[in-house]
Amino acid sequence: MPDFAAPVSRLIEELKHLPGIGQKTAQRLAFYLLRADREQALALADAIRAAKETVHQCSICNNLTDVDPCLYCTGSGRNRRTICVVEEATNILPIEKTRQYNGLYHVLGGALSPLQGIGPEQLQIKSLLERLKTGAVEEIIIATNPTAEGEATAMYLSKLLKPLGVRVTRIATGIPVGSELEYADEVTMLKAMEGRHEL
Amino acid sequence: MPVRESEAIILRTYPLGEGDRLVSFLSRAEGRVRGVARGARKPKSRFGASLEPLSHVRIWFYERETRQLVRISQCELIESFLEAQRSYNANVAFGLIAEISEAVLPEREPSDPAFRLLLATCRAIQSRGSIALPIGYFTLWTVRLGGWLPSLDHCAACGRDLAGQPGWANTEGSGVFCRQCRPPGSRPFSAEALATARTMLRGSLEKLAAAGTRVPDELTNYWMDLIEQHIERKLTVRSMLELAP
Ligand SMILES: [Zn+2]
Ligand SMILES: [Zn+2]
Repeated sequence: MPDFAAPVSRLIEELKHLPGIGQKTAQRLAFYLLRADREQALALADAIRAAKETVHQCSICNNLTDVDPCLYCTGSGRNRRTICVVEEATNILPIEKTRQYNGLYHVLGGALSPLQGIGPEQLQIKSLLERLKTGAVEEIIIATNPTAEGEATAMYLSKLLKPLGVRVTRIATGIPVGSELEYADEVTMLKAMEGRHEL
Repeated sequence: MPVRESEAIILRTYPLGEGDRLVSFLSRAEGRVRGVARGARKPKSRFGASLEPLSHVRIWFYERETRQLVRISQCELIESFLEAQRSYNANVAFGLIAEISEAVLPEREPSDPAFRLLLATCRAIQSRGSIALPIGYFTLWTVRLGGWLPSLDHCAACGRDLAGQPGWANTEGSGVFCRQCRPPGSRPFSAEALATARTMLRGSLEKLAAAGTRVPDELTNYWMDLIEQHIERKLTVRSMLELAP
């Protein structure tokens, strides 16, 4: 590796920790920041610091928030009988964008992944069970990703939750809107058939 | 760059960049390969369910000069094990065999036996309730194919026939010994356990399953110890494994 000045190397190393950033991209970003206006570069540093220092996990749903509990947990218009379970806080936004769902959320903090050493204890499952104790929740919508890990997590949760007398549903998976059946593989098609509904 | 086509099993994938996937797969023709599938995490990805772990697929890829990673251009499902992975135990078992394959198989060295072993194990986990036999079989054969399996027939010191006898494996993993020659600290195997291991080296997984073969945990743990010794690290998934049904 070529020798950069120590502060430059340090910046490159830090950038490399970001997901999807390798050595070359880190170098490019580092030199971009060094060439940029002082204000612009420091604004980024300040934004990272401010976000890191003020944003926390919601103590109820584990969403990332600067007020605790978060706005979804305290919102007056939210339906408290439904909880939608997602893997990551970033999964909430696409659901909110539908403007169809106004229930609560619960962020697991990932999915079951033996390869990454993530078992049930590493996920926010106990805190989900805690939330059901009041008896106010009638339905849990499991919106984990339709991947092997997300499916395994969904199945695990449903086995755990159903005996508690709560209705457990899974978001539909299958043919994406705008695509054609001809190009769907058999697993996707099977999911679409399983998830069919009355018209 | 010419596009290559191969039967393969997906071992593991990692999210990469904006909507891409880094895919590690075991190609029947080319051994373990790592490549990039552009857009594979997006809803309308042309890869569909084909890149999920342990999918048995036909894959098309091409080399890119100066890059270690190939580019995956197309992938079609032959056989999916996605449904089977919904059960927690099976999910852990699939994770373990993927982790072991990634750790022990060198990149770009084709091994038809390793490919067939992995595929047979996936099918067995899918069709059986219990994962103990498939995992025992897979770990034993991984050790055997790797060339690290000590003789189970003769004492490593005096050469005595161990048939019908218990045996003791030394901690270095280099041999199984008779009662007289056993080194201090060696772990014991009953005569029945050794007989089971010998049967597992002779029969197919299907036949063993049909015969109701039960693999003692002590054996599977021994094979996993040998694997960990060889790769010089602990297997991440091992701690999550509960072999008993
Ligand atoms: Zn909240
Ligand atoms: Zn001996």
